[in-house]
Amino acid sequence: MSDAAASLTSMEFHPQPQPGAARPWAFPAPERGALDNDLTVLRCHRPGQKVVAVEIILDAPLDAEPTGLDGVATIMARALSEGTDKHTAEEFAAELERCGATLDAHADHPGVRVSLEVPVSRLPKALGLVSEALIAPAFVETEIERLVRNRLDEIPHETANPARRAAKQLSKELFPADSRMSRPRQGTEETVAAIDAAAVRAFYEGYVRPATATAVIVGDLTDVDVDKVLAETLGAWTGDTAEPRPVPPVTADDTGRVVVVDRPGAVQTQLLIGRVGADRHDRVWPAQVLGTYCLGGTLTSRLDRVLREEKGYTYGVRAFGQVLRSDGKGNGASMLAISGSVDTPNTGPALDDLWKVLRTLAAEGLTDAERDVAVQNLVGVAPLKYETAASVAGTLADQVEQHLPDDFQAQLYARLAETGTVEATAAVVNAFPVDRLVTVLVGDAAQIEEPVRALGIGEVTVVTG
Amino acid sequence: MPMGHTATAEAGSGGLTATEHRLANGLRVVLSEDHLTPVAAVCLWYDVGSRHEVEGRTGLAHLFEHLMFQGSKQVHGNGHFELVQGAGGSLNGTTSFERTNYFETMPTHQLELALWLEADRMGSLLAALDDESMENQRDVVKNERRQRYDNVPYGTAFERLTALAYPEGHPYHHTPIGSMADLDAATLEDARSFFRTYYAPNNAVLSVVGDIDPQQTLAWIEKYFGSIPSHDGKLPPRDGALPEIIGDQLREVVEEEVPARALMAAYRLPHDGTRECDAADIALTVLGGGESSRLHNRLVRRDRTAVAAGFGLLRLAGAPSLGWLDVKTSGGVEVPEIEAAVDEELARFAAEGPTPEEMERAQAQLEREWLDRLGTVAGRADELCRYAVLFGDPQLALTAVNRVLDVTAEEVQAVAKARLRPDNRAVLVYEPVTTEQSDSDEEEGADQ
Repeated sequence: MSDAAASLTSMEFHPQPQPGAARPWAFPAPERGALDNDLTVLRCHRPGQKVVAVEIILDAPLDAEPTGLDGVATIMARALSEGTDKHTAEEFAAELERCGATLDAHADHPGVRVSLEVPVSRLPKALGLVSEALIAPAFVETEIERLVRNRLDEIPHETANPARRAAKQLSKELFPADSRMSRPRQGTEETVAAIDAAAVRAFYEGYVRPATATAVIVGDLTDVDVDKVLAETLGAWTGDTAEPRPVPPVTADDTGRVVVVDRPGAVQTQLLIGRVGADRHDRVWPAQVLGTYCLGGTLTSRLDRVLREEKGYTYGVRAFGQVLRSDGKGNGASMLAISGSVDTPNTGPALDDLWKVLRTLAAEGLTDAERDVAVQNLVGVAPLKYETAASVAGTLADQVEQHLPDDFQAQLYARLAETGTVEATAAVVNAFPVDRLVTVLVGDAAQIEEPVRALGIGEVTVVTG
Repeated sequence: MPMGHTATAEAGSGGLTATEHRLANGLRVVLSEDHLTPVAAVCLWYDVGSRHEVEGRTGLAHLFEHLMFQGSKQVHGNGHFELVQGAGGSLNGTTSFERTNYFETMPTHQLELALWLEADRMGSLLAALDDESMENQRDVVKNERRQRYDNVPYGTAFERLTALAYPEGHPYHHTPIGSMADLDAATLEDARSFFRTYYAPNNAVLSVVGDIDPQQTLAWIEKYFGSIPSHDGKLPPRDGALPEIIGDQLREVVEEEVPARALMAAYRLPHDGTRECDAADIALTVLGGGESSRLHNRLVRRDRTAVAAGFGLLRLAGAPSLGWLDVKTSGGVEVPEIEAAVDEELARFAAEGPTPEEMERAQAQLEREWLDRLGTVAGRADELCRYAVLFGDPQLALTAVNRVLDVTAEEVQAVAKARLRPDNRAVLVYEPVTTEQSDSDEEEGADQ
């Protein structure tokens, strides 16, 4: 201790500094327009961002997949970059990488998203390749077969991952069997095996067209003639028109219950506790964001304050709300959930504490200090969070996909700042009612079933891993 | 506080500049101005990592990193997190073989708070460190280990391969997460002693990047850090020198409950900071980076024997770097078939070298990765610290991409020929078992 004592005596301490004057920052406003082919385009100049991000949103939602072919949207998305009328699959990958670009395409409930990131100097070339993929994908039989096999090989890896396994089980529990949301986004062994090139092409022809697509372009566009680049790339895309697909209403069974996915010998239990709630169109959204942050947004939120920093049961537990789908007409929903993992022997005590945190929150509400810190964080981190082109493009694309106005995120910050403690409390208590939560536990049933049953948080069933 | 380098952009630095300064107590400071966004990143690298740990105390550097968030003389409990997040900032810390870093990204007007917080814990952590924090964070770290390594398929592969690639007793033989037994054995006195030995201004580099006024920032740094005493009690890590070639193929077969067979390998490669290491980076990118690489084309596209096949580079300055091969097999394919194909591709590459198109692609990919890394204030702050701590010159961060672009095809071929050979690797083979209980025993980064 003598060293420390010496340091303490010789170091000069100063009081905590006070902040200076904040420099104003606003979420960027994109410029909205359309090409002659009716493709909607959002562009946003971000000075200094030399890696440009392009997001293309296709109105090809998972509920449009034909019965028995779950996963065809995923295979189609992947097949877009596996060859065109001008390039073989290997050539296409090589040409994109020659641009220093990354291209990702994936299918989710609202539709297919194609995401390109590329240094601005090579944007014309890379966007040309992406356009080629959208306009004239080859969908060669042998490549589709390979993608199908590759996807089948991936499934056991996902099943083995505790967090993925828990997510799959929760969807199955919450949604009715005839809802696409009850089944894995990327299909099952059975449905994926049934996918062939004809099915992929039929899905492409049914749902991929410029008139129902949107492109978002974000980055330092100072030296780019965006109109010319667009005209020479995505502008060459043609197609018929189509009505946007109606969004089916989301229903969910959130009767409080527990499902244990048995993993004999697991050293931890993966928790996923969830239900369905309001989307961004709902007036409660800002209050729900605020309250959810106070519950489990960070290491100093209510859950981790107890489960991690007091008890040491976990490396971290988070509460979040993630929009599943929205149409702006009241058919939207988000997944509200608490997730994390706790060591096997402490699974019962950890869940007991988790429920105590929820009950205390419902009984006593949030404090003004908690609400203030949450607002300061959620609003204050915006300039950090949106430093890169990719993060701005991602949020703009989410807004498009969820049928929100382009200034939604900008307005959200103002609304968060106006949300009071009482509203935030009401929103989070409504979002996480103790008797309406479906709990999925991926862990060693022999060790955790009885302690969990004793908590009385709902009927307990055990399924095999 | 004499000004070091002037803030004039070097060719190829993308217009980025950095200035260097040193306080009387030995704290090195690097500043880089950028007023595009009203944010500032603070990054502090301590020159201590898991390579400094001694036998029986693996995981101590990382456990200690957690304790740095448990309060100091003027900051109570979780105050570091609460104050930074309440100011609209984000923060964390990570531990690797070679260093421990702590970082905050703040709205510009809250920069002074981050500096005050870092100085408080650098100077006075032991005023707050107690048994309660120690016992709690020991449990948290053990749960981190379970979550990231022990409870996921292939989770302990990195630990196993590292242990094979670096011999017993070598400072890189164990990984930063440490063993459960050693985490259990660590005492409060170990933590105190670790702080007294390694946490001192003359064993750290502080970088501040973004929307800053350099004169004001330096004045704050002098004010908060200037009176923290330096000391010279640091013990150097054990010698990490090894022959260039392992000289034998090391091998371990793991029978575990995993979803598919896997072939993983670690090749011994040149140290970070050398031209040969940049050449190796390009070689591994051509062979196993992205969707147009030789191994992806061969195993995933043509032979269809693998779900995924790739190569990565773990750059290390104090020991040989590692070239990291990871192949997960498709369906019932056996490992020898994969291994023969990998060896054939590596031998062909060593014999022929990269094509001009492959060089262009690999260099374009690596260039974009650098643009990404330097494109945020936090990424730039971290790279400036890295080059200052490991290579003595932060300016090297701003020109690193030029050095990658300067490498020739001949140099890429030479490093492949010399290093990517069967007698220079440690191999880990996974064979799935379906029984209920399997023999289960464990990466680089370990976040807070």
